[in-house]
Amino acid sequence: MEDTIYDLMEQAQDLPGGAAKLAILEEAARLADASGLKELAYEVRGEIVDCAIFNGYPLKALIAFSWQLGQFDQKPDEYDEQELLWTYKWILGKVCSFPNIPKAQVENLVEDMRKRYAEYGYNERPYHYYKFRIAMDMGRLDEARQYLDTFRTIERDSMSDCEACEQSQIVRFYYLTGEDEQALAVAKPILSGRMTCAEVPHVTLSQVLLPLYRQGEADKAKDHHRNGYRLVRDDRDFLKTIAEHIEYLAVADPVKGIEVVERHLHMALDYESGLEQMYFYAAMVGLLQRLDTSGKSRLVRLPASLEWGKEERTLTEIIAYFRPLAESAAAAFDRRNGNTFYTNWIGEIVQTP
Amino acid sequence: MSQTDEYRFQVNLGGMIDILANHLYSSPRVFIREVLQNATDAITARKELGETAAESKSFEGKVTVELSGSGEQQVLMIQDNGIGLTEEDIHRFLSIIGQSSKKGTDLLASETSFIGRFGIGLLSCFMVSDEIVVLTRSVQEGVSMEWRGKPDGTYTIRRLETELPVGTQIYLRCKPGSEFYYEPAQVEESLFYYGALLPYPVMLSVDGGTKRVNLPSTSWMQDPEQLRSRRSEVLDLGYRLMGERFGDFIPLRTASGRTGGIAFILPRSINLNSKRLHRVYLKHMLVSDKAENVLPEWAFFIKSLIWTDELQPTASREYFYENEQLDGVRSELGTCIRQELLRMAEYEPDRLQHWIRLHELSMKALAVEDDEFLRIMHRWFSFESTFGRRELSELIREAGGRPLHYTSTVDEYRQITHVAAAQSMLVINGGYIYDTEILEKLHWIDPALQTERLSPEDVSMSFTGLTQEEREQYYSVLRVMDVALQPMRCRTELKRFEPASLPVLYTISQDALTLRSMENTVEETTALFSNVLDSLKAGVQQNAGYSTLYFNLNNPVVARILEATDTLMITAATEMMYVNALMMGHYPMNRSELGLMNRSVLHFINWGLGNGQNT
Repeated sequence: MEDTIYDLMEQAQDLPGGAAKLAILEEAARLADASGLKELAYEVRGEIVDCAIFNGYPLKALIAFSWQLGQFDQKPDEYDEQELLWTYKWILGKVCSFPNIPKAQVENLVEDMRKRYAEYGYNERPYHYYKFRIAMDMGRLDEARQYLDTFRTIERDSMSDCEACEQSQIVRFYYLTGEDEQALAVAKPILSGRMTCAEVPHVTLSQVLLPLYRQGEADKAKDHHRNGYRLVRDDRDFLKTIAEHIEYLAVADPVKGIEVVERHLHMALDYESGLEQMYFYAAMVGLLQRLDTSGKSRLVRLPASLEWGKEERTLTEIIAYFRPLAESAAAAFDRRNGNTFYTNWIGEIVQTP
Repeated sequence: MSQTDEYRFQVNLGGMIDILANHLYSSPRVFIREVLQNATDAITARKELGETAAESKSFEGKVTVELSGSGEQQVLMIQDNGIGLTEEDIHRFLSIIGQSSKKGTDLLASETSFIGRFGIGLLSCFMVSDEIVVLTRSVQEGVSMEWRGKPDGTYTIRRLETELPVGTQIYLRCKPGSEFYYEPAQVEESLFYYGALLPYPVMLSVDGGTKRVNLPSTSWMQDPEQLRSRRSEVLDLGYRLMGERFGDFIPLRTASGRTGGIAFILPRSINLNSKRLHRVYLKHMLVSDKAENVLPEWAFFIKSLIWTDELQPTASREYFYENEQLDGVRSELGTCIRQELLRMAEYEPDRLQHWIRLHELSMKALAVEDDEFLRIMHRWFSFESTFGRRELSELIREAGGRPLHYTSTVDEYRQITHVAAAQSMLVINGGYIYDTEILEKLHWIDPALQTERLSPEDVSMSFTGLTQEEREQYYSVLRVMDVALQPMRCRTELKRFEPASLPVLYTISQDALTLRSMENTVEETTALFSNVLDSLKAGVQQNAGYSTLYFNLNNPVVARILEATDTLMITAATEMMYVNALMMGHYPMNRSELGLMNRSVLHFINWGLGNGQNT
């Protein structure tokens, strides 16, 4: 059985991240579980977390990570704590995307991480930094501003996110608050290529488009859109970033935006995280509203996986279909977060008829 | 009061050379590239001068490399018949580090012609030599000059009495430890590596024998279409330059003609994740054999040789800057490949089929991006199906106008494959990368091609239901079965289906599967995370529904179970069937399921030992 599991893992290794790879890894995990091979099951789950988190399957990642953590706590000496603690941050980066997880539980998770980091001698920078990120995810921007000020005063250690990642989150903060000049200033080292990593500048380029456009730098915005979109367009991990490109295109070039919507809608339909899905639907509705909706049908090619879309649909119908989905998701997030951030945000990008 | 003294940084040249050797350049042999580059620039400059001044247009560039002496007395000489350096040039380019011939306003400065940075490039020679001697005579001045530089940063310049030919000669004496780089075979190999496509002869002379090192003619670089009629020559070239025996290639050319190339089709399947290492020549000189971004991502079945004069290399010279120019070139080159494949589809389907078989993933990746390509190619793509691995055209024929059924995951496919196959039902496994995407796009390229996603529950629709009598007859047994599996959120159904050898079919939706794995994990994780998972369960549960265990009345064992009257017996048998189905499907069991299994196994042992009194 062990051989079969290793075979499956090898097969998975040859595939790019995505559903096919996950299916194989899950099969391997099931086999390992069924044969009681705990350590192997732990190893496979590490791969699942890695693949799932970066390909738009945060729920699968969360489940696999939970299993690992339980196993780790039973036999902490058998496993590598560094890898596990590092992965913990990925999970925290995604937990807010599920409106079903209450705020208190999210907070408990961050405290749990804090405790575990302290136990293994790491400092509190990641703790404050993730408080900052979570506050942003929850639309609590005043809180976020406070954590932004605290995390930066703590020295970086080997558990800290990389410089580029941290910087990109700061850009995101000013992007969310609408402080365009600040956002552009903070984005500079990223745009110049001095700070890069696996996700930067990918996630940053989409967040300078509207600020640049609003400041009259349409050409620069266009360049960054082209480069940024190329970096993310084949990667499910970046659905929110793609939504930001659509939001920009809604303003700058709605007709081109249709292509982007068409290309990614099937991805959004089959997405495990409500937050990214909501971003996408909202941006898409905002974009379609800017086009001539007067009775024209099939301006958007809907994916075959969408049963509802198999008949001819007018733009107006498409808008009417997706808008409530985005709005009810936003309401669910606001309920959990205890504010009206997402409802307001949707109100701004879609036009009220 | 305030007085500012101005100082200048003292640069330690020896230290800098060390940095060059150990960090900037990947191997000391790049000194060959640098001197070849200088020679090329000088020849280009002289040519351009010929176009403006009266110098004869018949000027032919030429580089000669000569090896003489042996051991530590080995000397390598590179001579070009380019423009040569005036005394002023020498001061400017050889004596100030960092000064590049690209700057300034004179002839040497025109942006489009030069690749080198004379001064810096020459420094790389200190990696293999403790003294660099440059003899030169400019076509403009006629004075013969000698420059001698040492790695400590000192140099001398003097006018020579003798009259040199126009051009530049560089003498490098072998530095102890660098003998390897002076071996004739090594020098020849390096000259070819960097300069194979140089448009003038590069000659190597050793021990009185002289031969040409680079390719004798590169006229096809102007018009890559010519390559088509020189097949074996091109494939040989592929072997010499790329180290691989290719069987086929596609000529590449952008509309402007400033970028061209040969796209060799890899004769073997290649991992999707493997690096795309293309070999790129910038203005005839090798820039990189590791350039990844010159072709579109889907072209991973291609290893190409590209020449260009319009792209800008990064400082490491292994990649090109991602700019609009590169974007344009990449998509034009991609179009060449795509066009050729489309052309093959029309005129040489056998050739195309061969390549599709080898590089199907790559072609599918392209098809997902490009509807036109999908329209032409889809019929040759193969898919795993209950009828075996078949080309789509065949599957379409089999479907006979009905929609093509597919599952979107391997899991779902596996759940129903036995049953679907036994019923001669055509189902495609769309669980592999790109397959579902392609299947879902089919109706856009041809409205007649309808596809329908199938879930395991859908398969059961084709099962034969029970007759009214059977329904009444088995009613009470079915209730017992339902009660037995209810705690597992599984319901039972009784049907007749093929194959008869399959007693039960367990089907579970993706959501229910996720729910299962959440529940199993809750048992294994910390209290905090099990709370979180419980919160998430609420959302998943809504859609998950029950799993279903279909009992096959055509199966003799099942038929016997249904004849039983003992409730305990029926319950235990149902539980065993359930657990068995889980094991067959590799679904790991949770605690209550394991308990279930233990209990029923014990029951059966008990009954078995009790001399069949319960049967």
